[in-house]
Amino acid sequence: MKILYDWLKEFVAIPFSPEELRERLSLVGIAVEGVSETSAGPLLDLDLTINRPDCLSHYGVAREVAALARSELRPLSVKLAEVSESAARATRVEIECPDLCGRFTARVLRGVKAQPSPDWLRQRLEALGQASINNVVDATNYVMLELGHPMHAFDMDRLAERRIVVRRARAGEKVRTLDGVERTLFPDVCVIADAARCVGIGGIMGGAETEIGFSTRNVLLESAWFDPVSIRRSSKTLGLRTEASTRFERGADPEMAEVASRHCAALIHELAGGEVLAGVVDVYPARREPLALELSRKELLRVMGANVPDGEIEAILGALGFAPRRTDQGRDTPDSPLARWQCRQPSWRQDVAREADLIEEVARHYGLDKFPSRLHPSKQPAARLPYALAEDRLRERLIGLGYHEIVSIPLVNEEEDALFRPAGVTPARVTNPLAEDASLLRSTGLVSMAHALAWNLNRGQRSLRLFEIGRAYRLQNGAPEETRIVTIGATGLARQQGVAESARDYGFADLKGDLDQIGALAGRFDWNPETHSWQHPSRSGKILLASAGLRRVGGSQDPELGRWFVTVGNTVIGAAGQLATRVAERFKLRQDIYLAEFGLDPFCNGFGLARSGRKYQPISRFPAVERDFSVILNDGTSFAAVREAIAALGIAEIISVEAVDLFRGRNIPPGNFSLLVRVTFQSPEVTLTEGQLSDFSSRIISALEQKLGATLRTT
Amino acid sequence: MKSTFLADLKRATEWGQWERVRDNWLGPAGIPARIATNWVQKAPQNLRHLLSREREGLISFINIRLQTSQTLEQLGVNHPDQVPGRFGDLRKIFDSEIQQCIDEVDLGIDKTAWLGRRSGVLAQITENWLKTSSPELKRVTGQELNSLRAHVEAAIEERQQSITAAAEGAALARERVDLSLPGVIRPIGSRHLVRQTFEEIERIFLSLGFTVVEGPEIETPYYNFEALNIPEHHPARDTMDTFYLDLPPGSEPHLLRTHTSPMQVHTMEKQQPPVRIIVPGKVYRRDNPDATHSYMFHQVEGLAVDTDITFCEFKGTVEYFVREFLGSAAKTRLRPSYFPFTEPSVEVDANCFVCMGKGCRLCKFSGWIELFGAGMVDPAVYGFVNYDSAGVSGYAFGLGVDRLSQLKYGIDDVQLFFQNDVRFLRQFP
Ligand SMILES: [Zn+2]
Repeated sequence: MKILYDWLKEFVAIPFSPEELRERLSLVGIAVEGVSETSAGPLLDLDLTINRPDCLSHYGVAREVAALARSELRPLSVKLAEVSESAARATRVEIECPDLCGRFTARVLRGVKAQPSPDWLRQRLEALGQASINNVVDATNYVMLELGHPMHAFDMDRLAERRIVVRRARAGEKVRTLDGVERTLFPDVCVIADAARCVGIGGIMGGAETEIGFSTRNVLLESAWFDPVSIRRSSKTLGLRTEASTRFERGADPEMAEVASRHCAALIHELAGGEVLAGVVDVYPARREPLALELSRKELLRVMGANVPDGEIEAILGALGFAPRRTDQGRDTPDSPLARWQCRQPSWRQDVAREADLIEEVARHYGLDKFPSRLHPSKQPAARLPYALAEDRLRERLIGLGYHEIVSIPLVNEEEDALFRPAGVTPARVTNPLAEDASLLRSTGLVSMAHALAWNLNRGQRSLRLFEIGRAYRLQNGAPEETRIVTIGATGLARQQGVAESARDYGFADLKGDLDQIGALAGRFDWNPETHSWQHPSRSGKILLASAGLRRVGGSQDPELGRWFVTVGNTVIGAAGQLATRVAERFKLRQDIYLAEFGLDPFCNGFGLARSGRKYQPISRFPAVERDFSVILNDGTSFAAVREAIAALGIAEIISVEAVDLFRGRNIPPGNFSLLVRVTFQSPEVTLTEGQLSDFSSRIISALEQKLGATLRTT
Repeated sequence: MKSTFLADLKRATEWGQWERVRDNWLGPAGIPARIATNWVQKAPQNLRHLLSREREGLISFINIRLQTSQTLEQLGVNHPDQVPGRFGDLRKIFDSEIQQCIDEVDLGIDKTAWLGRRSGVLAQITENWLKTSSPELKRVTGQELNSLRAHVEAAIEERQQSITAAAEGAALARERVDLSLPGVIRPIGSRHLVRQTFEEIERIFLSLGFTVVEGPEIETPYYNFEALNIPEHHPARDTMDTFYLDLPPGSEPHLLRTHTSPMQVHTMEKQQPPVRIIVPGKVYRRDNPDATHSYMFHQVEGLAVDTDITFCEFKGTVEYFVREFLGSAAKTRLRPSYFPFTEPSVEVDANCFVCMGKGCRLCKFSGWIELFGAGMVDPAVYGFVNYDSAGVSGYAFGLGVDRLSQLKYGIDDVQLFFQNDVRFLRQFP
């Protein structure tokens, strides 16, 4: 809403400059976005909250100014020179739908001369962003801006039988509105009709056929009141929002209908001449007594926590039109804690209907800055989210491993999401997306990760490590479900070229190693070779979490990377691998991309179990001894098989089995590969003797030979 | 030359021709004299000084050797008082020689010359002076000899140390690393700025006893709107344009929550006062994206309800938060506003930290910046959760995490948060 400073001054003395007024109004809840200079003087641009339709007018804002400046608001009065002939004889008004239209007033003006408006009027309207049309229409707009009540003027000679019927629209009924658009109505729309047809959409926009033109002689001036919900619904459905509909849907003042009509008739008479018929045709089914409200100091103190003096309460509520009256016994005791006031809801403040609302009125005009600040002690211990610690550790480890956290918008492209979607997952779609590319709630975080990688690669950032802790969405038996997930994406170099180091590409082993370090927080990650279609067929797998019943056997050197566990159960919690070429193409990703995703909740559960089960493992005082075995194995033999063959020997002194080198070719026969296995032995009780070690070694060699057909390689 | 001289001297001593050697070497036709006329005077300017020093060194060497190859008696020393003078001369010569040692080689030569076991100066003195001296000279000669030996040993040791230190220093200087070269930078990641702001907000409210809770992003209209006093045709819904979910016919309608406020209702349904929670999370509004709007953004909802909470506690809490978050210089003002689920409602403003209240573009020349909305819980909300609205009271607030991060770090475009450009992410380690 735009307000002219000089216009306000017609209703109230303002002891402030426009800039001061801006600040003062803002502090009572009438937010002023800015002050500018116009040909009609300084203009205040208000950003009103929706509960204050009364301030969609100069008079309404003047009332707030009067209350905050404790000055007098000029009462509304107008002299209307009427002829003796009564309006009631010239027209008739019927309301068939009182639930939609609570009041309809009609005034009749005869013999007017519609013509361009005078300069002062045009200037004000234009300063406020209203185009000037003719003096009659301009008068309705002017009074709307002045008093807040929307009105409509009909060319009376074009109304069939010169009468008004307010009714529901008939199914399929059409009307051409003032903006020239033909609109099809529906039965919930309140229409203004004459004896024959619809001539306007009630409270929203008049019809073109009865529009005031320069040939208009006789005018029927409508000033009505419409139900806010019905106006809002119609305006939304019709996609038609006007100055009038905005005021009615927020709640116009039904009492103002007649007052505004009188002011408007007087203005039309002044500008366009002619004569005003006596009286007003007023059908007012929604008339009701003003709501009685009560304010007690006890409640004010309970809500606000500090006192407001009697004088302030009475001055504020009085200025705002609530007519406060002290009703308690101790009327003579100033600021009594038992004080009560009886108030009356003004017709323009339907938003104030409860004691709590009255308290707000008092507080905002008294000044929120006058209430002291206090902190209140907590009666309960504070708690973080149940998984906060697991999430902290996970995030901290990922960051330490070089991954940057991303946050993405989980609304994605449906086809792209399908590339990553696990079998059997029903995605959750949005009925009213803003764009096709954001029409579906992602079923995995991988699609967002692919986009984040692509965004950076397209901007010359070639080495990337990213992660996201977010959610995935799906429908489960028709109901939406949200799952917390961790997504990882990497590409480019694992190590940059520098004066002290050579460059190395990020590869599957980097991804697996990083994931295993993360898995160690929650027990251990296990891997199986199943792949999804987004994954590269040879460089990917599923991630299993081995956590329940976790127990270390033999004691590892590195407790976080302990390789010997007894696990009670492994659950698939995610997948990892290189992105399949076909999918990478879809995102125009032109270098090898590595992705992984796993469930956060099972991870956090595993974290909790691992943490509670973690016990100190005594560190042996006796030396650990390493033995290397260089063996030639058939292609297809896994390292796990090697480890299991060694573990099956049950040698308690083995504390780790590691693969330290692997190669094919050179002098290795085709179909075979060479593996260098490093076994570390240590006893918690004794120093191992050469005899023991060579016994262990020969048992290991014969196990590998017999179980895996390995050949010991001699160098 | 020195060795030629020593050979000469040795032979001469054996044959008793000591004087001849002295005249040959120190006489007018002796080698030093010839060096002076043939080398030093004819040498170019830059070598002249060096040559003349070498020549003096040779002379003193010859002198010492001539002296120490004779007995004291031969030198005409027969009274103890004459002894210290002899030693004093030697010491002076030694001191000047040691001064000229600049490296290990020089020092090695000097050391052999003075301390050499057979033909060193001190060995010569022991042999020629001490052993042959008369009883009355022996004591003082012994004392002087010991004192000279101690001096020579100490001086050589000291010189040795300073030469070693100098050599090591030179080696270190050669191997000195270039501190301006970069070290090996292991890649390290970062927390997203939105996450950092979440954590900052959490930290502040945890310190005030607020418990953190989370809720679903997909909500029912009841929790997102109705139970927060926003009935179906309320104009407030216009400010929260909503995404709805496409569900099978007959399902309960669901939407993407437009604020984190639904958790107020969920929490109060489950728990009686006192309640003190914050709710971080993602929210969605169907707004076209621009520099200040994203259709997904982040909020932290706060709610405190008890039997004794008033506007003053609300104000104190909000002001505490703003000071903790923006710094102790931040000033707060509460400006009346409107939200359907709070009454009174306020906008919390902070004084503009760009212009310090004087007025600038950021604050639209008002001197104040709108931070977030808040207020006392509207009694109507208590009705939805079966709280006694006459007995309890409380406050709620909704912090826009992205907006607060934008303000705090001067980020002019909210889209930067969700593009995930590493050049942006790296700026907030
Ligand atoms: Zn500023």
